[in-house]
Amino acid sequence: MENNKKIIIIDDEAHIRRVIELKLKNQGYQVETATNGEDGLEMIKEKKPDVVITDIMMPRLDGKTLTKKISVFKEEWPFLTIVMTCRISPDESKWIEKMKDTLFIEKPFSPSRLVEYIDRYFEKRIK
Amino acid sequence: MDLDSFKNLLSGFSKVSKLHFEVHDSKGRCFYIDDERRYNHGEKYIRSLSSRVIEEEKYLHMKSENSLSLFGMPIKNGTGSVASLIAYNSSPDTPDTGDMERFLSSLAALFEDNWSYRKEAKKMAQEIDQSYEELYLYSKIASQIKTLRFTETMQKELIEDLLGIMRVDMAFTDLKQHEEYNVLAFRPDITKKVSDPDGLVKRLLKIVPGREMSMENQYFIINDSRESPQCRDIHTEPFRFLAVKIRNNMDLHGWLGLLSFNLKEIFRTSELNLLVTMAEQIAVVLSNQDLYRDLERFVINVVKSLVHAIEAKDWYTRGHSERVNSYCMMIADKMNIDEEGKKALHWASILHDIGKIAIPESILNKPARLSDEEYNIIKKHPEKGYEILQPIEQLRDSLPGILCHHERFDGKGYPEGLEGENIPFSGRVIAVADTFDAITSDRAYRAAKKQEEAMVIINEVAGSQLDPVIVKVFNDIFKEGLTSV
Repeated sequence: MENNKKIIIIDDEAHIRRVIELKLKNQGYQVETATNGEDGLEMIKEKKPDVVITDIMMPRLDGKTLTKKISVFKEEWPFLTIVMTCRISPDESKWIEKMKDTLFIEKPFSPSRLVEYIDRYFEKRIK
Repeated sequence: MDLDSFKNLLSGFSKVSKLHFEVHDSKGRCFYIDDERRYNHGEKYIRSLSSRVIEEEKYLHMKSENSLSLFGMPIKNGTGSVASLIAYNSSPDTPDTGDMERFLSSLAALFEDNWSYRKEAKKMAQEIDQSYEELYLYSKIASQIKTLRFTETMQKELIEDLLGIMRVDMAFTDLKQHEEYNVLAFRPDITKKVSDPDGLVKRLLKIVPGREMSMENQYFIINDSRESPQCRDIHTEPFRFLAVKIRNNMDLHGWLGLLSFNLKEIFRTSELNLLVTMAEQIAVVLSNQDLYRDLERFVINVVKSLVHAIEAKDWYTRGHSERVNSYCMMIADKMNIDEEGKKALHWASILHDIGKIAIPESILNKPARLSDEEYNIIKKHPEKGYEILQPIEQLRDSLPGILCHHERFDGKGYPEGLEGENIPFSGRVIAVADTFDAITSDRAYRAAKKQEEAMVIINEVAGSQLDPVIVKVFNDIFKEGLTSV
């Protein structure tokens, strides 16, 4: 399996982190988690992950700012950003569309679909 | 057994105290300080103490021949000892065995708690994962149910999602009246076990009770096919099967079924509830579609009756409505009118003369020239038609065409005297078709003219009576041949 692929999950809600961590570990990915945007940002800089999964509403640096900040790193190394939100806001998807390699997922989400998106990203990257 | 988080703790203890620690499970050493000199001369004692501790499930201590003091404490999970925590030292000042028992016991408890918390957390994450999948499916059904245009593709996606979320091998719907919505989804690897999935579904449906089954029973379940004799000839491999009714009130539309060859898992009540909800939602969609179709059919029949009513009264116009309708539809096709516009024009052209019901028969069928007064009465028919059809909501978009089919492009028509593009498009189209058909058919007061002659007249009045753009389109259609009439 793809055990050399690193994924960072940033969400202040433990149950979301746990579920995604479990699903991705079962799939053979290396997973690290952070509970706020600031820690997440530091972790991304240090670990250079292949995928970042982030919530929007978070303490200390929200997901929108984080996503914009880390998008400049994509010139340094390629990675996929997945933004999750439960906020009802029609313009949310608009700023995400403009970002490179960035996906938008609404909560409630299907964990297995999330895994599918990630698998597909790596398949595409190999090609 | 995951010792990662305790490795530092144990090696720390080994460094600062005179004691050394090891953890063994029944297969062998899981944790030890890698110091050859230490474990070489004590290994056999450590091993034997460890297996005794695991077997007897209690604290033990011993002294070896080479004056090694050994202490062993079992580490338990819910069912029994799974490992041993061993402490030993070779120095003469041996700790009190009672102290050691208390210390090792609390250390072992720490391991046990940690493992059980982690196991529980993992279990919880799995359950939350499942709930998320179910919630996702619920929200997906809920949003799809709002639409009347629930397509076959949407149904297919829904059943495929169900297959994944319920972790089963096959999922299908069997609907009697809506075969276009029948779906059979299965895992790709199932073809190794099942050569003919369609046939398997057919055999399964035979054992599902039919309509005679009491209304209270929402579902039909077989937890293990080996235990029910009726399943003997269905499939060689044992399976579990759950089917729920797709029904709305008293209407039984069919069944939603799941099949799995994995008998280690069961169909849970939460899954049944989800399945029942899905089946109910599908039933609502199907019933809605039936109702919608009935309603549409009803409107069509009402329209047909109205057409019959006017034709019964004004027999010169027999067939006129259908011909005008077919010319209008040709024009609409040629001009690439959208579906909604076509639908409005369709009904408007069929019903354009419906207002003549309100005109006395003596005037309609009068074989001589009409007086001004009579002509003024006839001119009321577009407004009468509008009034007659106004209560029928489904025909609302067709009303402008009916009201305005006698308006003239130059503004000299009736009832409003609208001019040019102010006349609704459907009114202008009907005017062209109506004029052409009036010239080419017999009237009470004159005989029919040839189509070619009619086209000459139509072209003469283009721009004055009729919309020149539509006349031009009609010329093209005429050259290609007015096939359908």
